[in-house]
Amino acid sequence: MNTVIQTLNDALFLYYLVSNLIYLFLLIFAVRASVLHQRILASIRLERFRASPFSPPVSIIAPAHNEGQSIAQSVRSFLTLDYPAIEVIVVNDGSVDDTLDVLTREFQLLRTDLAYVQEVPCHAVRGLYMSQTEPRLLVVDKEAGGSKADATNAGLNVASSPYVCVLDADSLLEKDALLRVMVPILADPEHVIAAGGIVRAVNGSLVEDGQLRKVRLPRRFIEVVQVVEYLRAFLVGREGWSYFNMLMIISGAFGVFRRDLVRAVGGYRPAAIGEDFDLMVRMHRRLRELNVDYRACFVPDPVCWTEVPPDWKSVGKQRSRWQKGMIDTLWPNRDMLFRPRYGRIGFIALPNLWIYEALAPLIEIVGLASILLAAFLGILSSHFLLLFLIFGYAFSTMLSIGGVLLEEITFRRYNDWREVAKLLLCCFAEHFPYHQAHLWWRLRGMWQYARGDVAWGKMTRVGFGEAQAKQGAR
Amino acid sequence: MNPITKIVEALGPASYVLQAAVASLIGAALLLAFIMGRRAARRRYFGRRDERAQSLRRQLPEILDGRILPEAWRRDPLDDRILEEILLDCLEVAAQDEAEKIRFCLRISGLLDKRIHQSRRRRGWRRLRTLVILGRMRCPEAIPALAEGLDDSNQQTAIAAARGLGRYAMPEAAEPILERLEMKRLRLPANVLQSVLYHCCRDRPSMLLRALHFTDDQLRPLLARVLAEVASAELGEDLVLIASDPLPEVRASAARAMAGARPRLALAALQQLAADSEWFVRLRAVVALGILQDPRSIPVLLETLCDPNRFVRLRAAGALSRLEGFEEEILERTVRTRDRYALQALVGEMQRSGAMLAVLDGLADPHRRSRSRRILLAAVRAGAPRLLLDAVVHHSNWRVRTQSARLLAESQEPEVLRLLRFYSTDALHPRNRVLFSWLERRLQTATGARSEPDGAAPSGSSRPAPRRDNLSPAADPALARENR
Repeated sequence: MNTVIQTLNDALFLYYLVSNLIYLFLLIFAVRASVLHQRILASIRLERFRASPFSPPVSIIAPAHNEGQSIAQSVRSFLTLDYPAIEVIVVNDGSVDDTLDVLTREFQLLRTDLAYVQEVPCHAVRGLYMSQTEPRLLVVDKEAGGSKADATNAGLNVASSPYVCVLDADSLLEKDALLRVMVPILADPEHVIAAGGIVRAVNGSLVEDGQLRKVRLPRRFIEVVQVVEYLRAFLVGREGWSYFNMLMIISGAFGVFRRDLVRAVGGYRPAAIGEDFDLMVRMHRRLRELNVDYRACFVPDPVCWTEVPPDWKSVGKQRSRWQKGMIDTLWPNRDMLFRPRYGRIGFIALPNLWIYEALAPLIEIVGLASILLAAFLGILSSHFLLLFLIFGYAFSTMLSIGGVLLEEITFRRYNDWREVAKLLLCCFAEHFPYHQAHLWWRLRGMWQYARGDVAWGKMTRVGFGEAQAKQGAR
Repeated sequence: MNPITKIVEALGPASYVLQAAVASLIGAALLLAFIMGRRAARRRYFGRRDERAQSLRRQLPEILDGRILPEAWRRDPLDDRILEEILLDCLEVAAQDEAEKIRFCLRISGLLDKRIHQSRRRRGWRRLRTLVILGRMRCPEAIPALAEGLDDSNQQTAIAAARGLGRYAMPEAAEPILERLEMKRLRLPANVLQSVLYHCCRDRPSMLLRALHFTDDQLRPLLARVLAEVASAELGEDLVLIASDPLPEVRASAARAMAGARPRLALAALQQLAADSEWFVRLRAVVALGILQDPRSIPVLLETLCDPNRFVRLRAAGALSRLEGFEEEILERTVRTRDRYALQALVGEMQRSGAMLAVLDGLADPHRRSRSRRILLAAVRAGAPRLLLDAVVHHSNWRVRTQSARLLAESQEPEVLRLLRFYSTDALHPRNRVLFSWLERRLQTATGARSEPDGAAPSGSSRPAPRRDNLSPAADPALARENR
């Protein structure tokens, strides 16, 4: 018994060590990738792309469900994006508020009889509307499909450009974000099949007329923790994985994909909980099966600002959903594991996601139980326990700090030194009680998925710079 | 022993926690100090740089005129760097004579020679940066140095050299690229090559035409794509020759080029391409025919309107909808094709292009009314009644509303009756309700349909219509007035 517990404890130590070493490795290469990206950016002029007739058109797909309050502002901001050829497709996903009326009023929509061919599955489309004042705008009115994936598929069916940019209708894109995210595609359109930008938390920042005026950190601890998490996940995780061409997720809030490929894999899976992750895994699968040389890129400078949940309850729901989404995608694709035809995706990226993301809450809880049992049986060395805890704490804090430092050295969106100090302090403080709560939420997500509870649930939003709370369905 | 050490030792294993907490605090403080120190150093550097930049900007006219000699600022590396940046920025927006002055300054100050020398001596990232600067200088003397950069083993450096040549926008800058392409010595991403050649060959597109004959099949589509963008009348009938190229991509680009260059034989060549076996060649040909806007292309466009490929159909519809003054003839001939998809595509495109709205407005004009009626009736029968239904509800001109209602009634389409039920009349003007009620009854009579009970109809259909049995535009004073 003692030997078993001792072995478990050692395995747990090894697990944490490898997990942190992977992240350290990613951090090092993320720094390298950031520096390379900055150098390449310095050698090109974005204005050239802006004026080039060879810049491929992009269809922006923005699914909207009960977004009546902000939809006009969002659409205007999409239409002013700095890119030579765009088509904005707003998908009204069975809104029960005045989303369609607002769009009709603001953009003088006219119902048209354009041919609609359903190439990827989605709920019935009620009508297509074109604007009399803005020829680049197309509105798809459809029955509620219950998921963003379903609405995005409707947009994909009417998109006419070779690339589609999928956004959240309540996100804020920086003016040159689309141009910047297209840089790797424009540089190598034959190989780059998708590109994603960074998603940052807008909470606390000043937003006026749909434009971000001043970047500020939010006040609440739970929001600042999420800022640190986003920095770590995007600037370290995605940048690092992208460097090795193993990017497994491009955020649903802001990503550009080759339309033909998305259609070829059947579009988004309407029942998927994490539709963005699911799509990327299926795209990897298809291209690996076809033995095609391709790249999916993360670009660190085009920014999409989004609102993160402002309270513990909403964060909990969101994290549970993310956990469900991860299992929901990994499980159907388990046959990709350790199969030579899937290369590095099957041998490194997916196993990493299984072991260090999907199963992490279970492993952690088993480890905790093992330590408690060892303490109960009196075989736990307090010296080992303390060293173990300190090691885990120091290593993961260092990785969070790495994310903040990378931000400070490269992009520096937070100009006030007090905000940087706040971020650094948060790196130290996030381990208690946030980490434990996070563990609980993820376990809950696993439990819910096992029981078949796959509902999205409602998320509380405060709105961009607005005091009053608004309720969005997702 | 130190009392603090004694206390720590007395804590036993818990001392690790204490040590970790202290180490964390020290670590955080050091990090903060590093960040603040770095920020302060950067602030100081940028402050100094801004100060020097302002001073040099003030002296810029004297520097350009040669009243301040280059020796005065070349010696200080900071001034040297700042002034080079200023000169290059000014060059981006300078007019012709001002640009010449700046280039002269770059030459006599030795900045150009320095960069040419560095581009040959440096390697890696530093060479790349130098090539970018040489590209921005746009002095023809730097073209050979940039051309050498094309041969760099590092692809990013070769890309920077190519982009640098692209900034010259001169045929001379395209020559080393085309030379290397012919000799298969250059492997750059297609987009970069396209962009560079587009800028450099705009004044002499014939260079591309010549290169098309010498490059391999892998590169010819790329060159043809650029040619399609820069083609001008200078190319003349030579363009027609590449319309019969064995590569479909080249034929497609030839079609696009002909739309821009408009050679004498363009129409005949495009009509031939519109019957090509590859759908995208047909598509390009149809788009080009749409740009030419020649009524003689109507028969071939009508044929492509029934193309098996829906993208070709849509483009053909787009091209046809732009041919002003022929709407009626086109619609009639499209109806005669008995191809419902073609008709729908055409009507949809006419709505999208605004042509249908213009036709709709014609209902209010006695001179254009009969023509508009014929076109709109054909559109309704083609399955596009929504335009007229929307006009009945929203059009600003009451005459157009009533005429639209009459047309819908005349169409006797059961589909109109079905759609009518989805329009909520609760919020409508009373005259509009009268129109709706009249239209519904006329259609019911014509189609023999029975109205559904109120409870079964969609929410919009339970409208409190006036209970008048024989309502017609003639019987209703408001309608009669509008129809006069």
